[in-house]
Amino acid sequence: MEEHDGGHSVMARTSMADDHGMTRRAVLAALGAFGVAAAGGLAAAPGRAHAQALGQNESVEDALKRLFAGKPMKDGAAVIKLELPLIAENGAVVPVSVTVDSPMTPTSYVKHIYVVADKNRIPVVTRVTFAPEAGRAFMGANIRLGETGDVRAIVEQSDGTLLQVKREVKVTVGGCGG
Amino acid sequence: MSDIGKVRLRVPSSIKAGDVVQVRALVIHPMERIERDTQGKIIQKNYNYINKVIVTYLNKTVATFDTTQNVAENPFFSFTFKATDPGQLKVQFLDTTGGRYEGTADIKFS
Repeated sequence: MEEHDGGHSVMARTSMADDHGMTRRAVLAALGAFGVAAAGGLAAAPGRAHAQALGQNESVEDALKRLFAGKPMKDGAAVIKLELPLIAENGAVVPVSVTVDSPMTPTSYVKHIYVVADKNRIPVVTRVTFAPEAGRAFMGANIRLGETGDVRAIVEQSDGTLLQVKREVKVTVGGCGG
Repeated sequence: MSDIGKVRLRVPSSIKAGDVVQVRALVIHPMERIERDTQGKIIQKNYNYINKVIVTYLNKTVATFDTTQNVAENPFFSFTFKATDPGQLKVQFLDTTGGRYEGTADIKFS
Protein backbone atom coordinates (compact mmCIF):
# COMPACT_ATOMS: atom_id res chain seq x y z
CA MET A 1 0.00 0.00 0.00
CA GLU A 2 2.78 2.38 0.93
CA GLU A 3 4.29 1.80 -2.41
CA HIS A 4 1.10 3.06 -4.01
CA ASP A 5 1.41 6.19 -1.91
CA GLY A 6 4.89 6.55 -3.23
CA GLY A 7 3.52 6.19 -6.71
CA HIS A 8 0.96 8.91 -6.09
CA SER A 9 3.50 11.35 -4.82
CA VAL A 10 5.59 10.72 -7.90
CA MET A 11 2.55 11.31 -10.05
CA ALA A 12 1.66 14.47 -8.18
CA ARG A 13 5.14 15.78 -8.55
CA THR A 14 5.29 14.99 -12.19
CA SER A 15 2.05 16.78 -12.90
CA MET A 16 3.26 19.70 -10.82
CA ALA A 17 6.35 19.88 -12.95
CA ASP A 18 4.18 19.94 -16.01
CA ASP A 19 1.92 22.67 -14.68
CA HIS A 20 4.68 25.03 -13.78
CA GLY A 21 7.23 24.05 -16.37
CA MET A 22 9.72 23.26 -13.62
CA THR A 23 12.41 20.66 -13.84
CA ARG A 24 12.42 17.73 -11.50
CA ARG A 25 15.50 19.16 -9.84
CA ALA A 26 13.79 22.48 -9.18
CA VAL A 27 10.73 20.77 -7.76
CA LEU A 28 12.87 18.66 -5.49
CA ALA A 29 14.79 21.67 -4.25
CA ALA A 30 11.58 23.62 -3.70
CA LEU A 31 9.98 20.86 -1.76
CA GLY A 32 12.90 20.65 0.61
CA ALA A 33 12.42 18.17 3.36
CA PHE A 34 9.25 16.84 1.83
CA GLY A 35 11.20 16.35 -1.34
CA VAL A 36 13.48 13.93 0.42
CA ALA A 37 10.55 11.77 1.41
CA ALA A 38 9.14 11.98 -2.09
CA ALA A 39 12.50 11.05 -3.54
CA GLY A 40 12.15 7.81 -1.66
CA GLY A 41 9.05 7.16 -3.71
CA LEU A 42 10.91 8.12 -6.84
CA ALA A 43 13.74 5.76 -6.04
CA ALA A 44 11.16 3.05 -5.53
CA ALA A 45 9.82 3.48 -9.04
CA PRO A 46 12.69 1.85 -10.97
CA GLY A 47 12.57 -1.06 -8.56
CA ARG A 48 8.95 -1.57 -9.43
CA ALA A 49 9.70 -1.42 -13.10
CA HIS A 50 12.23 -4.18 -12.72
CA ALA A 51 10.09 -6.20 -10.37
CA GLN A 52 9.46 -9.66 -11.63
CA ALA A 53 6.24 -10.12 -13.48
CA LEU A 54 4.75 -12.54 -11.00
CA GLY A 55 4.89 -10.91 -7.61
CA GLN A 56 3.99 -7.27 -7.30
CA ASN A 57 2.69 -5.04 -4.60
CA GLU A 58 -0.87 -4.64 -5.77
CA SER A 59 -4.44 -5.45 -4.93
CA VAL A 60 -5.76 -8.87 -5.70
CA GLU A 61 -8.09 -7.44 -8.35
CA ASP A 62 -5.15 -5.87 -10.16
CA ALA A 63 -3.18 -9.07 -9.88
CA LEU A 64 -5.96 -11.15 -11.40
CA LYS A 65 -6.48 -8.61 -14.14
CA ARG A 66 -2.78 -8.62 -14.93
CA LEU A 67 -2.48 -12.39 -14.98
CA PHE A 68 -5.70 -13.33 -16.68
CA ALA A 69 -6.75 -10.15 -18.48
CA GLY A 70 -10.29 -10.37 -17.16
CA LYS A 71 -11.04 -13.76 -18.67
CA PRO A 72 -14.11 -15.33 -17.09
CA MET A 73 -13.44 -17.87 -14.37
CA LYS A 74 -15.64 -20.83 -13.73
CA ASP A 75 -16.28 -22.29 -10.36
CA GLY A 76 -13.94 -25.21 -10.01
CA ALA A 77 -15.32 -26.69 -6.83
CA ALA A 78 -16.13 -29.94 -8.61
CA VAL A 79 -12.60 -30.67 -9.75
CA ILE A 80 -10.23 -28.68 -7.57
CA LYS A 81 -9.39 -29.79 -4.08
CA LEU A 82 -7.82 -27.00 -2.09
CA GLU A 83 -6.46 -28.10 1.24
CA LEU A 84 -5.79 -25.44 3.81
CA PRO A 85 -6.09 -25.22 7.56
CA LEU A 86 -9.25 -23.48 8.76
CA ILE A 87 -7.23 -21.53 11.28
CA ALA A 88 -3.57 -20.79 10.79
CA GLU A 89 -2.03 -20.05 14.13
CA ASN A 90 1.20 -18.96 12.56
CA GLY A 91 0.84 -17.07 9.30
CA ALA A 92 4.51 -17.58 8.54
CA VAL A 93 4.02 -21.23 7.70
CA VAL A 94 0.71 -22.30 6.25
CA PRO A 95 0.60 -25.60 4.42
CA VAL A 96 -1.45 -25.53 1.26
CA SER A 97 -2.03 -28.20 -1.31
CA VAL A 98 -4.03 -28.22 -4.49
CA THR A 99 -5.14 -31.31 -6.36
CA VAL A 100 -6.98 -31.08 -9.62
CA ASP A 101 -9.09 -33.96 -10.80
CA SER A 102 -8.15 -33.78 -14.44
CA PRO A 103 -6.57 -35.99 -17.05
CA MET A 104 -2.91 -35.32 -17.74
CA THR A 105 -2.57 -36.27 -21.37
CA PRO A 106 -0.63 -34.30 -23.96
CA THR A 107 -3.90 -33.04 -25.43
CA SER A 108 -5.68 -32.13 -22.23
CA TYR A 109 -3.86 -31.30 -19.05
CA VAL A 110 -3.57 -28.72 -16.35
CA LYS A 111 -1.08 -26.11 -17.44
CA HIS A 112 -0.88 -23.89 -14.41
CA ILE A 113 -1.99 -23.79 -10.84
CA TYR A 114 -1.90 -20.35 -9.26
CA VAL A 115 -2.17 -19.81 -5.55
CA VAL A 116 -3.34 -16.33 -4.64
CA ALA A 117 -3.74 -14.93 -1.14
CA ASP A 118 -6.19 -12.03 -1.31
CA LYS A 119 -4.98 -10.11 1.70
CA ASN A 120 -1.26 -10.39 1.15
CA ARG A 121 0.52 -7.28 -0.04
CA ILE A 122 1.90 -9.32 -2.88
CA PRO A 123 -1.15 -11.43 -3.62
CA VAL A 124 0.32 -13.94 -6.05
CA VAL A 125 2.02 -16.64 -4.02
CA THR A 126 3.09 -19.12 -6.60
CA ARG A 127 2.47 -20.30 -10.10
CA VAL A 128 3.13 -23.92 -10.90
CA THR A 129 3.60 -24.97 -14.48
CA PHE A 130 3.01 -28.60 -15.32
CA ALA A 131 4.01 -30.87 -18.11
CA PRO A 132 1.73 -33.82 -18.87
CA GLU A 133 4.47 -36.09 -17.47
CA ALA A 134 3.54 -34.93 -13.99
CA GLY A 135 0.87 -37.61 -14.02
CA ARG A 136 -1.42 -35.69 -11.73
CA ALA A 137 -2.02 -32.00 -11.23
CA PHE A 138 -0.91 -31.69 -7.67
CA MET A 139 1.13 -29.14 -5.79
CA GLY A 140 1.91 -28.52 -2.18
CA ALA A 141 3.87 -25.79 -0.47
CA ASN A 142 4.22 -23.85 2.73
CA ILE A 143 3.13 -20.28 2.25
CA ARG A 144 2.89 -17.09 4.26
CA LEU A 145 -0.36 -15.31 5.01
CA GLY A 146 -0.40 -11.73 6.23
CA GLU A 147 -3.88 -11.72 7.72
CA THR A 148 -7.20 -13.49 7.69
CA GLY A 149 -8.57 -13.64 4.19
CA ASP A 150 -9.44 -15.76 1.23
CA VAL A 151 -6.91 -17.98 -0.43
CA ARG A 152 -7.69 -18.92 -4.00
CA ALA A 153 -6.47 -21.65 -6.24
CA ILE A 154 -6.84 -20.86 -9.90
CA VAL A 155 -6.33 -23.58 -12.45
CA GLU A 156 -5.54 -22.92 -16.07
CA GLN A 157 -6.08 -25.86 -18.33
CA SER A 158 -4.24 -26.46 -21.58
CA ASP A 159 -7.25 -25.19 -23.55
CA GLY A 160 -7.22 -21.93 -21.62
CA THR A 161 -10.18 -22.62 -19.34
CA LEU A 162 -9.86 -21.01 -15.96
CA LEU A 163 -11.30 -22.59 -12.85
CA GLN A 164 -11.24 -21.10 -9.41
CA VAL A 165 -11.93 -22.11 -5.85
CA LYS A 166 -11.38 -20.09 -2.72
CA ARG A 167 -11.48 -20.62 1.00
CA GLU A 168 -11.09 -18.35 3.92
CA VAL A 169 -8.25 -18.94 6.34
CA LYS A 170 -8.23 -17.32 9.73
CA VAL A 171 -4.77 -16.16 10.67
CA THR A 172 -3.93 -15.65 14.31
CA VAL A 173 -0.45 -14.19 13.85
CA GLY A 174 0.40 -12.73 10.47
CA GLY A 175 3.49 -13.97 8.76
CA CYS A 176 4.38 -11.54 6.03
CA GLY A 177 6.31 -9.06 8.12
CA GLY A 178 6.69 -5.49 6.96
CA MET B 1 23.04 -19.69 8.00
CA SER B 2 25.63 -21.95 6.58
CA ASP B 3 22.89 -24.41 5.90
CA ILE B 4 21.48 -22.34 3.05
CA GLY B 5 20.89 -24.45 0.05
CA LYS B 6 20.66 -27.81 1.73
CA VAL B 7 18.08 -29.75 -0.19
CA ARG B 8 16.24 -32.78 0.99
CA LEU B 9 14.07 -34.90 -1.25
CA ARG B 10 11.69 -37.46 0.04
CA VAL B 11 10.62 -40.14 -2.37
CA PRO B 12 8.53 -43.17 -1.47
CA SER B 13 10.68 -46.21 -0.81
CA SER B 14 8.95 -48.54 -3.19
CA ILE B 15 7.91 -47.37 -6.61
CA LYS B 16 6.37 -49.44 -9.35
CA ALA B 17 6.63 -48.64 -13.02
CA GLY B 18 3.76 -46.45 -14.09
CA ASP B 19 3.03 -45.13 -10.63
CA VAL B 20 2.22 -41.52 -10.08
CA VAL B 21 4.70 -40.70 -7.35
CA GLN B 22 4.42 -37.89 -4.90
CA VAL B 23 7.70 -36.28 -3.88
CA ARG B 24 8.42 -33.76 -1.18
CA ALA B 25 11.30 -31.37 -1.51
CA LEU B 26 12.66 -29.13 1.18
CA VAL B 27 15.37 -26.51 0.94
CA ILE B 28 16.95 -24.53 3.72
CA HIS B 29 16.63 -20.92 2.68
CA PRO B 30 15.81 -17.67 4.52
CA MET B 31 13.26 -16.41 1.93
CA GLU B 32 13.74 -12.81 3.05
CA ARG B 33 10.59 -10.78 3.50
CA ILE B 34 10.00 -7.23 2.39
CA GLU B 35 11.30 -4.83 5.00
CA ARG B 36 9.93 -1.40 5.65
CA ASP B 37 11.47 1.64 7.25
CA THR B 38 9.85 3.62 10.05
CA GLN B 39 7.61 5.49 7.60
CA GLY B 40 6.38 2.22 6.24
CA LYS B 41 8.16 2.66 2.95
CA ILE B 42 9.51 -0.48 1.41
CA ILE B 43 13.26 -0.69 1.59
CA GLN B 44 14.52 -1.30 -1.91
CA LYS B 45 17.13 -3.97 -2.06
CA ASN B 46 17.66 -7.27 -3.65
CA TYR B 47 15.79 -9.58 -1.36
CA ASN B 48 17.18 -13.04 -1.30
CA TYR B 49 14.40 -15.49 -1.95
CA ILE B 50 13.77 -18.44 -4.17
CA ASN B 51 11.87 -17.47 -7.27
CA LYS B 52 12.05 -20.64 -9.28
CA VAL B 53 11.93 -24.34 -8.61
CA ILE B 54 12.44 -26.67 -11.52
CA VAL B 55 11.67 -30.37 -11.34
CA THR B 56 13.20 -32.56 -14.00
CA TYR B 57 12.85 -36.27 -14.47
CA LEU B 58 14.83 -38.11 -17.12
CA ASN B 59 16.04 -34.66 -18.26
CA LYS B 60 12.51 -33.52 -18.99
CA THR B 61 10.89 -30.73 -17.04
CA VAL B 62 7.90 -32.05 -15.18
CA ALA B 63 6.89 -29.05 -13.15
CA THR B 64 8.09 -25.53 -12.51
CA PHE B 65 7.18 -23.42 -9.53
CA ASP B 66 7.47 -19.65 -9.89
CA THR B 67 7.40 -18.32 -6.39
CA THR B 68 7.29 -14.97 -4.66
CA GLN B 69 8.22 -13.87 -1.18
CA ASN B 70 4.90 -15.23 0.01
CA VAL B 71 6.43 -18.64 0.34
CA ALA B 72 7.52 -19.58 3.82
CA GLU B 73 11.04 -19.77 5.12
CA ASN B 74 12.77 -23.08 4.48
CA PRO B 75 10.23 -23.79 1.81
CA PHE B 76 8.76 -27.14 1.22
CA PHE B 77 7.20 -28.11 -2.06
CA SER B 78 5.49 -31.25 -3.11
CA PHE B 79 4.59 -32.45 -6.54
CA THR B 80 3.99 -35.62 -8.46
CA PHE B 81 5.50 -37.23 -11.48
CA LYS B 82 4.77 -40.35 -13.43
CA ALA B 83 7.50 -42.91 -12.98
CA THR B 84 7.95 -44.47 -16.39
CA ASP B 85 11.59 -45.48 -16.41
CA PRO B 86 14.33 -45.72 -13.83
CA GLY B 87 16.41 -42.59 -13.83
CA GLN B 88 17.21 -39.42 -12.06
CA LEU B 89 14.80 -36.98 -10.53
CA LYS B 90 16.35 -33.58 -10.05
CA VAL B 91 14.96 -30.56 -8.25
CA GLN B 92 16.69 -27.23 -8.72
CA PHE B 93 16.05 -24.14 -6.66
CA LEU B 94 17.09 -20.75 -8.01
CA ASP B 95 17.15 -17.66 -5.83
CA THR B 96 17.36 -13.97 -6.58
CA THR B 97 21.05 -13.72 -5.79
CA GLY B 98 21.97 -16.21 -8.46
CA GLY B 99 22.19 -19.11 -6.06
CA ARG B 100 21.38 -22.50 -7.47
CA TYR B 101 20.74 -25.41 -5.19
CA GLU B 102 19.82 -28.83 -6.33
CA GLY B 103 18.89 -32.19 -5.01
CA THR B 104 18.65 -35.45 -6.86
CA ALA B 105 17.07 -38.79 -6.24
CA ASP B 106 17.54 -41.98 -8.18
CA ILE B 107 14.26 -43.53 -9.13
CA LYS B 108 14.47 -47.30 -9.07
CA PHE B 109 11.71 -49.81 -9.34
CA SER B 110 11.30 -52.50 -6.76
